[in-house]
Amino acid sequence: MSREGRGKVLTWLAAAGVVAFSLAPLAYALLIALGRDPDFLSLGRAFVPTWDHFAAIITTPSLHFRDYLVNSLLVSGLTALLCLLLAVPAAFALTRLELKGKMLILLGILGLSMFPPVSLVGFLFKLLAAWGLINTRTGLVLPYAAWTLPLVLWILVSYFREIPPELDRAALVDGCTRLQVLTRVILPLAGPGLFSAGLLAFIFAFNEFLLALVLTTDHQARTVPVGLALFQGLHGQTPWGEIMAATVLALAPVALLTAVFQKRIVHGLTGGAVKG
Amino acid sequence: MDRHRAGAYLFLAPAGLWLALFILLPLAGAIFTSLFREVSFLPPKFVGLANYRWLAADPAFWTSLRFTLLFVLVSVPLELLLGLACALVLDRPLPARPLPARPLPGRALVRACVLIPWAVPAAVSGRIWELIYDYHLGLANHLLAYLRLIQEPVNWLGTAPGAFLALVAADAWKTTPFVALILLAGLAAIPRDLLRQAEVDRASPFQRFFRITLPLLRPVLVVALLFRTIDCLRVFDLIFVLTRGGPGGSTASLSLYGGNLFLAGDFGAGSAVSMVLFLAAAGLAAIFLKAGRFTRGLW
Repeated sequence: MSREGRGKVLTWLAAAGVVAFSLAPLAYALLIALGRDPDFLSLGRAFVPTWDHFAAIITTPSLHFRDYLVNSLLVSGLTALLCLLLAVPAAFALTRLELKGKMLILLGILGLSMFPPVSLVGFLFKLLAAWGLINTRTGLVLPYAAWTLPLVLWILVSYFREIPPELDRAALVDGCTRLQVLTRVILPLAGPGLFSAGLLAFIFAFNEFLLALVLTTDHQARTVPVGLALFQGLHGQTPWGEIMAATVLALAPVALLTAVFQKRIVHGLTGGAVKG
Repeated sequence: MDRHRAGAYLFLAPAGLWLALFILLPLAGAIFTSLFREVSFLPPKFVGLANYRWLAADPAFWTSLRFTLLFVLVSVPLELLLGLACALVLDRPLPARPLPARPLPGRALVRACVLIPWAVPAAVSGRIWELIYDYHLGLANHLLAYLRLIQEPVNWLGTAPGAFLALVAADAWKTTPFVALILLAGLAAIPRDLLRQAEVDRASPFQRFFRITLPLLRPVLVVALLFRTIDCLRVFDLIFVLTRGGPGGSTASLSLYGGNLFLAGDFGAGSAVSMVLFLAAAGLAAIFLKAGRFTRGLW
């Protein structure tokens, strides 16, 4: 075999290995969720397929799984929207307007995303308690929008910079105000960037754990990761089949979004450095 | 011109307000609170550095600090090396002719699969790992016994070394593919002609890697190193689900140790822990950014 041919086979094998490594635990979860006995492997029993675990998770009201899922989707969606609303004018100012120390501002904001959430949670708890927002979805959306802002801003800045400045100059000559430049010139062209940034904000908010754990107390605002982490089953023995069914359902929204929009996510994360 | 500048700051104001209110103010609040004896239902009392002294005297704090640093020291190099290996093999092969190689077919599929472990909540995938490590019915023991690597089931989550390894493996599963993806982006930016020319000049693969690829990949490597270190340092959700810091507090990360203090209503001591963690993160970030020479060339 030629050197190039061997290289290709090696690449293919590596790709297959990486894919198997990534998906194996998820496939295992699905298998256990769909099987009657979670211990069929160790007992050497046959695999008996059933929908019961999924049905139990969806239809048992006392598990509150649907509440958690609705909370998560609402909180993440609203976080993404609010975050974009805050970040778009800021990214516009940092790329298009006259400002001193733009780079310093941007790096400073990026530095904010390095904070360990645990250093914020004590004061946030007191602040939200004072506003009566503990155990509310609003109480999660407000800090999440700040927490995802550095990443979203960074992505938007890298997209806005790609838009030729001649376009806004032409618009300004034609009598547009700067706000109109943003809404009529930049935003229509930055659609993919807005989508990438919003998607990543959604995913980050969906996955957040520590703040959601401390700032919520029950199903009225608790999100899926926290609900699932605290889910031990109703009676005695750990109900692995049901836990895995809940896990699969909880993974599904983000996994589907990721699979469908992987290109947008990678573009957002790498500032469009990856082509193809 | 000044009016214009004022207008520009107006565009920045909403984002600035949000960051100030929900990140800077809480951070300042944590510094402040760490100097108080502040427990739920009692009026706060200024105690100076007493919380820090209390931490220094608590063996659990030192265990937690040791675990956190060890976790970073083992996980981050492991994930970066594995990620780099994956990226190098997945990178487009060097073309035989000096033409741009075609991208790997099916790379979209590979990329989607690789992103999923990283994108899904760690607290949720952690439940899967909890089952995988289960003593009786877990896949890990089943698989190792099937391969004849172990005679008896391993008590993964019930022993300190087992729990440590279990956490490192679960974290590597979540992040290695992602590191590979970031490094792949960095590799794609290296001019093919350069590598091609080096090959023509009879540079060995080793020389090509250490003299061309690695130096050019350095900025991307430093970014990956920085993000992985910060993330490992503040690890919380995976540990909360898999071990709850056990057995015997041996896997309680600083975030978990501090978070437990907050959940118990001890805001003063919790804030002191969070300050220690914050300073560690800031210090490491400064070192890496210095090493990556990021002050120039970004803009």
